[in-house]
Amino acid sequence: MRRAWIVVWKDVLSERRSKETLNALVFFALLLLFVFQFALGPDRARVEAALPGLLWIAFVLAGLLAFGRTFLVERENDCWEGLVLAPGDRSAIYLGKLAGNMLLMAMVEAALLILFALFFSLDFTAALPALALVLVLGTFGLAAVGTLFGALTAQLRARELLFPVLLLPAVVPVLLGAVTATQTVLAGQPLASASSWVTLLAAADVVYLVVGLLTFEFVLEG
Amino acid sequence: MPDNWSYVFAAYGLAAVVLLAYWRRLTARARDLGGQAARKRP
Amino acid sequence: MAIRVLGWLAVLALLAGLGAAFGYAPREAVQGNVQRIMYLHVPAVLTAYLAFALVFAGSLGYLLTRRPGWDRLALAAAEPGVLFTGITIASGSIWGKPTWGTWWTWDARLTSTAVLFLVYVGYLLLRGMIDEPDRRARAAAVVGILGAANIPIVHFSVKWWRALHQPSTILGPEPSPIAAPIALALFVNWVAFTLLLFYLLAKRTEIARLEDMHAG
Repeated sequence: MRRAWIVVWKDVLSERRSKETLNALVFFALLLLFVFQFALGPDRARVEAALPGLLWIAFVLAGLLAFGRTFLVERENDCWEGLVLAPGDRSAIYLGKLAGNMLLMAMVEAALLILFALFFSLDFTAALPALALVLVLGTFGLAAVGTLFGALTAQLRARELLFPVLLLPAVVPVLLGAVTATQTVLAGQPLASASSWVTLLAAADVVYLVVGLLTFEFVLEG
Repeated sequence: MPDNWSYVFAAYGLAAVVLLAYWRRLTARARDLGGQAARKRP
Repeated sequence: MAIRVLGWLAVLALLAGLGAAFGYAPREAVQGNVQRIMYLHVPAVLTAYLAFALVFAGSLGYLLTRRPGWDRLALAAAEPGVLFTGITIASGSIWGKPTWGTWWTWDARLTSTAVLFLVYVGYLLLRGMIDEPDRRARAAAVVGILGAANIPIVHFSVKWWRALHQPSTILGPEPSPIAAPIALALFVNWVAFTLLLFYLLAKRTEIARLEDMHAG
């Protein structure tokens, strides 16, 4: 467990110094917002109707960028062997990287919500607690698979192609559940009315986490 | 409802073509490998 | 050779299946003869599921034992799995056009099967991109295991999502209840497809074994 904390802390520290990933991702989120506006036209009702889907498209796309870079630092600085040769439980590395990714996505998603509220005159405050829960559950699913596949594709020539190709079909249930639950929450309905979806999300999260924990060491060998 | 035999034949035909093509690829590969093995053996 | 026998057995079974589908099974009352596509569509998806279960077994087997035979099983099962899934989708779509009026509906089973197709095409793409056998086997195994674990999750999520947006159509591709001749024809075709799968598996694993021998 302590090793997981060390991994998170290392990544957080290095990110705090450079802030390159966070800045770029937030800027990317802003760009997406413009893309959505241009793609859907000036009709505000259309954007508002599509909002749950748009939010999760944005989160998934940002996640593709963020998770794909999970092991970029280790790869570029020739530290890959360091990870591989580190003694002890490899799954701690997985947990640490996963936690780091969750932190990163939390900041990106918060920024995106603020930007959406600003540019489309939306008010999320009423729905915020329930919305936050849905966001955490959904993002965890994305991150659990994303961190695993990120490590898997890290050493491949074609990682930019393969990573989305592998990730997107795998997170279909997360997408379906998160969008539906977000829609419920943003429509002002209580989260309990989408309880089956919340349960599905939670169950999927558990499955993905367990698979990640169990298989990560096999990904990390050489 | 009318019988729409053309759809039935299209579906079965497509399946047959796909499976046949895969099978032919497999047998061709097997033949090549068998040939290679024969050549390797002195 | 045993593989030859298996092959001929599969051919015989497939012919019997065709006979059952077109000769023995009755003309369906509501949809007419286009319903006979079901004798292709349903066995195909069942065989695909069996194939993907074998991918899972092969993946698990390799990670636990590191014996290449398991990885060969996973590869040999993934290829026909993708093919049968493709056949399921295509036949489902072709069946849907005259019965529902469109080539595609985001019907629960079609959609789940399409997601399954995407997952395992990705699996094969991944395998194609890694040359080193052990790394390839490990990477593929992880994807294979997650893919298999995801199958029920995908199934339920798509089913619930579908139920939200449209009540289940009464004129679905499945006649209910299933009469005996229809069930028999389905069964014969399912056996035939399973035999075909095993034949393809045997041939593909043999090829993989020979390729490994040549490489090593």
